[in-house]
Amino acid sequence: MAANTNTIARGEPLLSCRGVCKRFGAVAANRDVDLDVWPGRVHALLGENGAGKSTLMSILAGRYRPDGGVIRVRGAPVAFASPAQARTAGIGMVHQRFMLIESMSVAENVRLAAPGARDADIAALGERYGLSVDPARLVADLSMGERQRVEIVKLLMRGADILIFDEPTSILAPAEVEALFSVLRRLKAEGRAIVLITHKLDEVLALADDISILRRGRVVAGCLTLDQAPGRRELARLMVGREVLLSVEKPPRDCGAEDETVLAAQGLSGLDASGRPAFADVDLAVRRGEIVAVIGVAGNGQDALARCLAGLGGGTAGSVAFAGHEGGRAMPAARWRGARGLSYVPEDRHGAGSVAAMSLAENALLTGQADERGGPLLDLARGAAIVERAVRDYRLKAESPQAPAGSLSGGNLQKLILARELAAEPALLLAEQPTQGLDLAAAEDVWQALLDLRSRAAVLLFTGDLKEALSLADRLAVIFRGRILDVIAADDPTAIERVGLLMAGVAAPATADGGRNGTGACA
Amino acid sequence: MSPWSRLRIEPRDRALPPLFSLGLGVGLALLLGAAIFAGLGVNPLSAYAAMAAGAFGSGHALSEILVKATPLLLTGLAVALAARMLLWNVGCEGQLVMGGVFAAGCALFLLPPGAPPLPAASAALLCGALGGAAWALVPALLRAWGQVSEILTTLLLNYVAVILVEHLYYGPWRDPAGFGFPGTAELPAAAHLARLWPEALGRVHAGLPLALLLAPLLAFLLARTRWGFSVRVIGLSPGAARYARLNVPARTLAVLCCSGALAGLAGAGEVLGIHHRLQEGLAVGLGYDGIIVAWLARGNPLAAPLTALALGALFVGADQLQTNLGLPASIGQTLEAALLLGYLAGEFLARHRVAFGRAHVG
Repeated sequence: MAANTNTIARGEPLLSCRGVCKRFGAVAANRDVDLDVWPGRVHALLGENGAGKSTLMSILAGRYRPDGGVIRVRGAPVAFASPAQARTAGIGMVHQRFMLIESMSVAENVRLAAPGARDADIAALGERYGLSVDPARLVADLSMGERQRVEIVKLLMRGADILIFDEPTSILAPAEVEALFSVLRRLKAEGRAIVLITHKLDEVLALADDISILRRGRVVAGCLTLDQAPGRRELARLMVGREVLLSVEKPPRDCGAEDETVLAAQGLSGLDASGRPAFADVDLAVRRGEIVAVIGVAGNGQDALARCLAGLGGGTAGSVAFAGHEGGRAMPAARWRGARGLSYVPEDRHGAGSVAAMSLAENALLTGQADERGGPLLDLARGAAIVERAVRDYRLKAESPQAPAGSLSGGNLQKLILARELAAEPALLLAEQPTQGLDLAAAEDVWQALLDLRSRAAVLLFTGDLKEALSLADRLAVIFRGRILDVIAADDPTAIERVGLLMAGVAAPATADGGRNGTGACA
Repeated sequence: MSPWSRLRIEPRDRALPPLFSLGLGVGLALLLGAAIFAGLGVNPLSAYAAMAAGAFGSGHALSEILVKATPLLLTGLAVALAARMLLWNVGCEGQLVMGGVFAAGCALFLLPPGAPPLPAASAALLCGALGGAAWALVPALLRAWGQVSEILTTLLLNYVAVILVEHLYYGPWRDPAGFGFPGTAELPAAAHLARLWPEALGRVHAGLPLALLLAPLLAFLLARTRWGFSVRVIGLSPGAARYARLNVPARTLAVLCCSGALAGLAGAGEVLGIHHRLQEGLAVGLGYDGIIVAWLARGNPLAAPLTALALGALFVGADQLQTNLGLPASIGQTLEAALLLGYLAGEFLARHRVAFGRAHVG
């Protein structure tokens, strides 16, 4: 039914892609992508993390050159050699991370993009689109929403008429989202062409005229008009797809007398690192012998939840109980600072999980230093032993324990971090996006290590990868906008579909055997 | 379009070895110094020859290099230790002065008369270290729990320390029998730091072996103890420090106070080993020179003795320029500045290449 919508007469597309391809090494980030953007219309580009949205937009913004395909702007083929050329062609992009100089005023920032812009022009433009920001204010003093407005003003002052917004609402407060939407509607009414990159279905349905869905680099649904759109459920299904399971063996769960709860969070609420509310009312329990996956699309509060559960702070309400810490009694979330027996593999393996300039042996000793036990000397022999065990057990490729951690590839670094955290014989391992950015071979080693640990400890896995969650976990807790919507047993035959829908924020009717307290089957 | 508009500075894929920046630094400093000498109407070659003769030409000169290097090494270690945690202690000057004040105060007012030399001098040295640490305490507290920049607070307290010490030796601590000369009475001989071998090594005192012992001790502390490890982690990666739950405020406090104690020892050594009283001539920039010692040593405590000696030789040689060639006394500091600038340029060029012409696209 979605075929040939392009023939509907609405004039020439302002921007048009045909057969755009881009590879990074062995990975095809974009394969034969077609995309048309018309003046006066909002084209929503949907897709999971890693679906290839950002690559495509970087190509349009002149940051990458495509390996194949044609891009036309106003009907004429273009080949951007630099972002400056894309800007000259009228393409403007609002990135997730703003490109602003904080120590300069709004007007100075605008003038960097559009030399000669006068304060009065900036103020007038802001007035016209509902983007009012005082040109004299320092960017450092602005809220995230105000900074975003400055970015938009920059584009408009430059006369951009193809505007690309990359996840524009992810950093906004709800009230600011509404304001942004009305700005977008006004821009659309003026005949500008807008591309909206998002994975939030509500926004798509509220704003988009055309919808394209990317999955694994391909357009799986191209240029549906809103009235052709198949509804939230079908959109979510298209976005997530029906993924095959991974190539690892998950042995059946061994439920015996050891079925004890290792970590239990009750009514947990908390803030993210910048102090904004990120998650609320989270109830979550992890038992010995199981892997529980917290799954969600990025930006739904799972980072802050992982940080809080790992004991790095951020909890404001609710309680955390950890077996072996204060007799397993629940303690207020605000006071929870981790405990012996809880190991944490952080998402940022370069910036947090390791120190690039230090040796592998030293990196193997990074955690556990806060512990008062042990002598005053650094036990480098123990560090070297952990590295050697990682070389043996996890196929870590390293020259020697004295090599700097910065010399390791991402996959090897992750193996080192895993080896370190497992060397502490944890009762619970909290692993955050453990295979993100790893090649398949390294990822399989990590999966195998997690499954091995499951036989003697509890694993809490934070992931955005549905395939990974379904293959490894016994239960899946779906997080959306900071709340756990449901906990679903992985062997539930409808799990794939239900989890996919919940990740997109579409509530599914509970089934008899699943529901909030899904337990997973025992052997 | 002027050719300068085509000047490009690009990062190198691999940094050149450290000897490159050191060599370039020395070379640039020599060139810059030559230009200055020429500007002053002196033949650069004869100036450098006079410096070399002044620094290495006699046993006395060599011993004076060691005398100068002693406080330079201690303040250099002080700066290097703090720099390991990305803390910039530019307050070594004030901490050195307060080290001298506490050491002199201890020797004058606390030591019982007739105290035996070793315990007396040790107690006075220890008080000096405490004085330096105390002077670093307020910046440390403000930095650890108030996120106040230690660069500002340590720097500003330098001026307070200088005014305080002047007040003491012009005022309440002035020697009543000193014929109006500003300065305290001579410290009791028991508190003096022993001269090692006066016939051959002149004024070289026990502070030198102490400083030489502290350098490897500090290196060991940083490399092989859990405390030193945590300090390095905090300095190298704040994210990893948070993840590893290291107590950053406690380490900040300890590191800045230890740094201050090292600078305080430098001041105590000058007062107990050289001046033997509190007087004019303590705040002569040895604290600031420590920054250069630490930088030239790339923050490595084991390299600091060498750079302290090099700087000491430069100062002793520059003194000769003043007496023999009639050049201004500040020539030593000028050459020191040229050395640092040359080294920094060398560091930059080791990491970047400068090229002319159009950048190629893509």
